[in-house]
Amino acid sequence: MLIDDLLARRLVVLSGKGGVGKSLVGAALAVAAHRRGKRVLLVEVDTPAVAEAGRFLGAGPGGGAERELRPGLSTLNLHPGAVMEEYVRHTVRAEFLARRVLDSPLYHRFFAAAPGLKELMTLGKVMTLEEGRSGWSRNPRYDLIVLDAPATGHGLAFLKVPLAAAETVPVGPVGSNARRILDLLRDAERTALVVVAVPEEMAVVEALEFHRMAVEQVGMTACALVLNACHERRFTKAQESEVLRLTAEEATGTLPGGVSLSAALDAARRLLRRERMTRFYQGRLRRALALPLVSLPFLFQEQIGPAQVEQMADRLEAA
Amino acid sequence: MKASARSVLARALAERRVVIVCGAGGVGKTTTAAALAVHAAVQGRRVLVCTIDPSRRLATSLGLQKLPEKPRRLDLSQLDGGLGAQPQRAQAERFLGRERAIHSRASDSMDEKREAGAPGRSGVSPQGPSAGIHFRREPPNAPSGEAWAMTLDTKRTFDALVERHAGSEAARRRILDNRFYQKVSAALAGSHEFMAMEKLLELSADERFDLVVLDTPPTRHALDFLEAPDRMMGFLDASVLRWFLKPYFAAGRLTLKVATRAGRVALGLVDRYLGLRFLQDLSEFFLAFESMYAGFKERAAAVHVLLRGQSAGFVLVASPARVAVDEALYFYERLREAGMPFVATVVNRVHPDPAEPAAGRPRQRKAAVAHVDTDLARALLQAYDDLHRLARAERRVITRLEVDTGEPLLLVPELESDVHDLRGLAHVAELMLGEETEPAKKRRAR
Repeated sequence: MLIDDLLARRLVVLSGKGGVGKSLVGAALAVAAHRRGKRVLLVEVDTPAVAEAGRFLGAGPGGGAERELRPGLSTLNLHPGAVMEEYVRHTVRAEFLARRVLDSPLYHRFFAAAPGLKELMTLGKVMTLEEGRSGWSRNPRYDLIVLDAPATGHGLAFLKVPLAAAETVPVGPVGSNARRILDLLRDAERTALVVVAVPEEMAVVEALEFHRMAVEQVGMTACALVLNACHERRFTKAQESEVLRLTAEEATGTLPGGVSLSAALDAARRLLRRERMTRFYQGRLRRALALPLVSLPFLFQEQIGPAQVEQMADRLEAA
Repeated sequence: MKASARSVLARALAERRVVIVCGAGGVGKTTTAAALAVHAAVQGRRVLVCTIDPSRRLATSLGLQKLPEKPRRLDLSQLDGGLGAQPQRAQAERFLGRERAIHSRASDSMDEKREAGAPGRSGVSPQGPSAGIHFRREPPNAPSGEAWAMTLDTKRTFDALVERHAGSEAARRRILDNRFYQKVSAALAGSHEFMAMEKLLELSADERFDLVVLDTPPTRHALDFLEAPDRMMGFLDASVLRWFLKPYFAAGRLTLKVATRAGRVALGLVDRYLGLRFLQDLSEFFLAFESMYAGFKERAAAVHVLLRGQSAGFVLVASPARVAVDEALYFYERLREAGMPFVATVVNRVHPDPAEPAAGRPRQRKAAVAHVDTDLARALLQAYDDLHRLARAERRVITRLEVDTGEPLLLVPELESDVHDLRGLAHVAELMLGEETEPAKKRRAR
């Protein structure tokens, strides 16, 4: 089972083109893991205003702290700027000094703007969370961390930061931390990459491209492809031909409830087209990569909430 | 009443020098940018569409394998009878398999629109749009536009900038060979945006183009993009260095000579956490940059002016999903705050509501009332309900966007197939900017 394979890791990194539903997939994966008794942390890297995973799980948008939504299932929204401030506060113990560092022009003009530094801090925080231990037994605080990484293009830049940092800063704690982060990302036993796409040309091309670069340039190991928003068969083959025949004949009539047959046929035809696209891209992804492919259904709901997340988790578990 | 989004957008494409297309991920931003560029080219402008998205989406949408890092001219001959020479036109028409039909009407010089095959009748072809392509004949000797495309190479742009502003060969080499520079300029998040602004400035002055359409990365990064010049200038600001790094290294050895206590703490942190060699690379980098700072600052100021001037315009793209609309609203506010010239909002992928009769659907023949068995009727009703529910939900979200921004919207229906070639883009442009449909007019009149 795919889910067991994923749950054997410590960190699952999700990436894909913007708008493909990474956050929903992340929430569903966290729920699926939680159902199997894992202590799970779902991490988003976002500004608080637009963080979604918490909302999908039925909680309002949260600040920058870990929140336990139900026992064993927590979310955390990492805002890179806030992570950096936290780091300064942690390092400079005295609040008044920390405040002065944070208020200083040096901090604002240099550290807050230094390319890659926030990303490095954010990944460093994820690593710290992965290493977190609790209680007398020194058990890991979380069995699994699901990281909802930024969308591809930038996601790759995000994941490449430790590599660049390890090369730029050869010594000192930052350099060694960068190398440790890189080790974590590259360790196939601990970390799995899951690439998310939807059945559309650009999303699929980008998923394949991202996968190739993440493997070649960062050295990560991909574990699965998730194809979200799939249109699944709603008509039998015979019904499908019947729909096409009736459409060609411009059949008229009324369905129960007073719905016009031609309007319903039009809707059916549109959905049949999407179904064919879904099958086309499923085939293409299967041919392109020897990775397990999980298809998740398109949701017609306006509001996506805990019920839909549970439904998606069912699908992930069954895959 | 406000002018329709359609006319505002068409005017911006006809008049401005720079159009910046922004929005959340997955809303069809790249497709929109490419379609706007194709439209403006068909209208006779020389257009460059440029992407700063590190992923190669624009190439895909243009039907190319890869986009060059220098502007490359696209072959529009396959698109439209009005562009290019006669032989190309014939070739394009053969390509579309409409040769005979067009020749038979070759004497028509008026605009004509013809369906190149009714959508949905035959099997789907995910490779290209099978929806109708509209042909518009231009009068003879119409000015022919050009469409160009390119992708941004961050590293090369940065190098070029260094080369332009370095005072001497030695200064140039000092920077280009610096380890810190090599890493920062090439790969790291953030430098893309800064370089994009630099490139935009350069392209906006390029005489080959009347219009530059810029496709930006998803919203949050597009915000970075707006702030990039200022932030990068802050980063490179020599006065910070004088305050901090220079005394540290000017003596050639490590002496902690920082004036303030907070500065000492910060410096201590840097030393402890980054190590000596990094500090050396860094200070070399900044010292070498010092001579170029004025040149950079000038460029950043020019970008600032360009983005707020009337020759620029922002097109916001959204899809009718709650999250995309939230982000669009957020971005709209930021544009307003920053005093950037706003043009229009485009909402892509709007599902038609099966409960509303579609415009232009052929009138029903008098066919016998079809018999539909119970199972099929149930499945059909389900399909109808699903799309109806989706369309209604989308409508609510779209209304919120319209009310909260107070700007007119341009709605583009969900297409029946993917768009990733020039013909598909021309079709999208037609949907966005072609003749207004009757229902849209009525909707606006209401």
